Amino acid sequence: MPIGEKVTNSSNEHDSCYRHLYVVVEHQDDKILPVTLEMLGEARRLMDNFNGRYSSSEKVVALVLGNNIKKLCEELIYYGADAVISVENPNLEYPINLIYTKVISQVARDKVCASKISPEYSENFRKPRYMFFSADNIGRHLSSTVLAELESGLASDINKLVIEDLDIKHEHKTKGQLVRYEKTLEMYRPDFSGFLWTTILCLDNRNPAIQREYHPQACSIIPGVFAALQREPARKGIIVEFNPELDQADKAVKILNRQVTKSPVDFDSHKVVISFGRGIKDAPEDNIKLIGQLANELNAEIGVSLPISKKPYSVSEPVSSLYLNPDRVIGTSGRKIAPTLYVAIGVSGAMQHIAGMKESGFVIAINTDPESPIRDECDIFIKGRMEDVLPLLIEEVKMQNQVMEVHE
Amino acid sequence: MEIAESMTSPLNIAVIVKLEPDFSEGSVSYNSDGTLNRAETKSILGPHSAIASAAAFYAKVKYGAAISIATMGPPIADSALQRAQLISDAESLYLYSDRIFSGADTLATAEVLKTGIKKMEDAGTIDIVFSGHRASDGETGQTGPQTAWKLGYTFLGNVISYNVDINKRILTAERLITLQGTTDIIEEIEAPLPVFITVDPSYKSVFNTVSLRLALVKYQKEAEQRAQNYKNYLKILNAQQLGVDSKFVGLPGSPTIVYKVERIPKARANRRAEVIDGADRQQLRRAAQKIHEIVGRVNQ
Repeated sequence: MPIGEKVTNSSNEHDSCYRHLYVVVEHQDDKILPVTLEMLGEARRLMDNFNGRYSSSEKVVALVLGNNIKKLCEELIYYGADAVISVENPNLEYPINLIYTKVISQVARDKVCASKISPEYSENFRKPRYMFFSADNIGRHLSSTVLAELESGLASDINKLVIEDLDIKHEHKTKGQLVRYEKTLEMYRPDFSGFLWTTILCLDNRNPAIQREYHPQACSIIPGVFAALQREPARKGIIVEFNPELDQADKAVKILNRQVTKSPVDFDSHKVVISFGRGIKDAPEDNIKLIGQLANELNAEIGVSLPISKKPYSVSEPVSSLYLNPDRVIGTSGRKIAPTLYVAIGVSGAMQHIAGMKESGFVIAINTDPESPIRDECDIFIKGRMEDVLPLLIEEVKMQNQVMEVHE
Repeated sequence: MEIAESMTSPLNIAVIVKLEPDFSEGSVSYNSDGTLNRAETKSILGPHSAIASAAAFYAKVKYGAAISIATMGPPIADSALQRAQLISDAESLYLYSDRIFSGADTLATAEVLKTGIKKMEDAGTIDIVFSGHRASDGETGQTGPQTAWKLGYTFLGNVISYNVDINKRILTAERLITLQGTTDIIEEIEAPLPVFITVDPSYKSVFNTVSLRLALVKYQKEAEQRAQNYKNYLKILNAQQLGVDSKFVGLPGSPTIVYKVERIPKARANRRAEVIDGADRQQLRRAAQKIHEIVGRVNQ
């Protein structure tokens, strides 16, 4: 802040209208999804810090919709929720966007719910202060439609969160004045390359010409990033039941059939995973073939880095549909894996990729550039072009296979 | 003429597309630090927008649907419309272009797109809107569902196939839902029109009868001719012509701002790598032995 510049603090005016952090729960087959527990863990840490700093007692509120969900409510408390809002209804058995959006928005605006959670903060309650969704195929869309209904801001695919008082000077938000925004959620989002972090803020317009309030400050959170708390059955919390108002029209969207399948890409039952990245670029088709041969020798599943899933190379159609495929992405935009042996071929090692493989037992990288970040994440770094290294390595691995057979 | 045509069509479809950086090799340019070099990277119709256009084309071939394509962007975004017309054989192209739209976040973008589609409805109902799964650059995947909600259309995401009962005005779709871990859910869902669909990256149109294939060829030829003269089908609308409220679009209409952009700090090294020379046979042999030590242990 420039010295002597006056900071206008107008944030307390409506501060009491927005309370608590609401976490939208996802579950499948009577089990809470790991990402929900991870969000509760991060919510707990943030709000403990928040309440200490601002001498308040705002809550972590888990919001769960479904049918026969009684058992889940207590679990949510064991994993860090102060309160659970439970909406139980046969029409809510599966997450249908239309009806879920309506119900979540009703709950978010409900003063009675808020007063049951915390009577002292209910008088001016309008909406939650913060709101978390998971950045998966359900939460991504649900967060979008809920925030369109609540008319507030939303950041997606977040992997770091900080609550701060920030002095902001912005052409539109503050009309160029320096204004303090208290209790602002800094939402960090890695970009597609994995090398840049963008911090998104959701801010009220304090500019008199376009004055508007934007709450909740909401985001979708990447699965597998934050740590869940230990399950603690001694933890206490309250469970609030909410009866939604449903129209006949809401029930016109019907699920006719729902089948749970396993993805054909199976990292979990393979002890070895081999992944490749943009390093294949000089001869994509031939390099993928070599990688396939190595995978064959090691009985490995094949993964890819995020850029590969965007099909950046012209390769034959079977190779493209089999490998240049979002299903195979390892990292925060794809799967998180922990094989006994991980071989990264032509992968530079962006943070998003590392997050998906760092739990691996032993890591080998093949790369031309010894300065690439993957070097700090592997146990053996083989320096060289994969076109040169792979044929030799495949031969050596084959020889080892024969040695083993002789010993057996 | 165009309006009359769309009024008589059994199904009216809008597709929302986006001009995006081209991530294909040879087009994409990265800075030495691994970040995207935007100045050097060409722009094209986004790959997910292309899939959305193909999904709309399926309804043209199967039901004789009338198609309108819309995009919000700078004047050069008309190239994305042309490309989408070539894929879908669209009758109308709309470019929503105004300086005040720039800098919009997803909610403010959705406001423009909603207004555009509402304007299309002046000429006749819109039954289905398609958009891509997500943009390759922004990657939020929020604009589609937010536009759907503002329109009041039922939103269906990750659609891998669909069919329409024109008489009953009901759409059935298959959706692919991938959750953390390896769970995939295939869901069959029905919804009354109008619906807003974002198309899953794995979507593929199937034309499996002779009459569909004949129609396919006919419309593909038509699409080529139209796309060659795409400007005849193009309408460019600014904020005033669209009738949007300037308070709800662009930077002033965006709840969110980008506060800062920084390089992600290099994490503390988790492992200490032994660096070996990939041309050295002996060293590779030791690596292979190490692999077998590990994999062999696993296999026992």
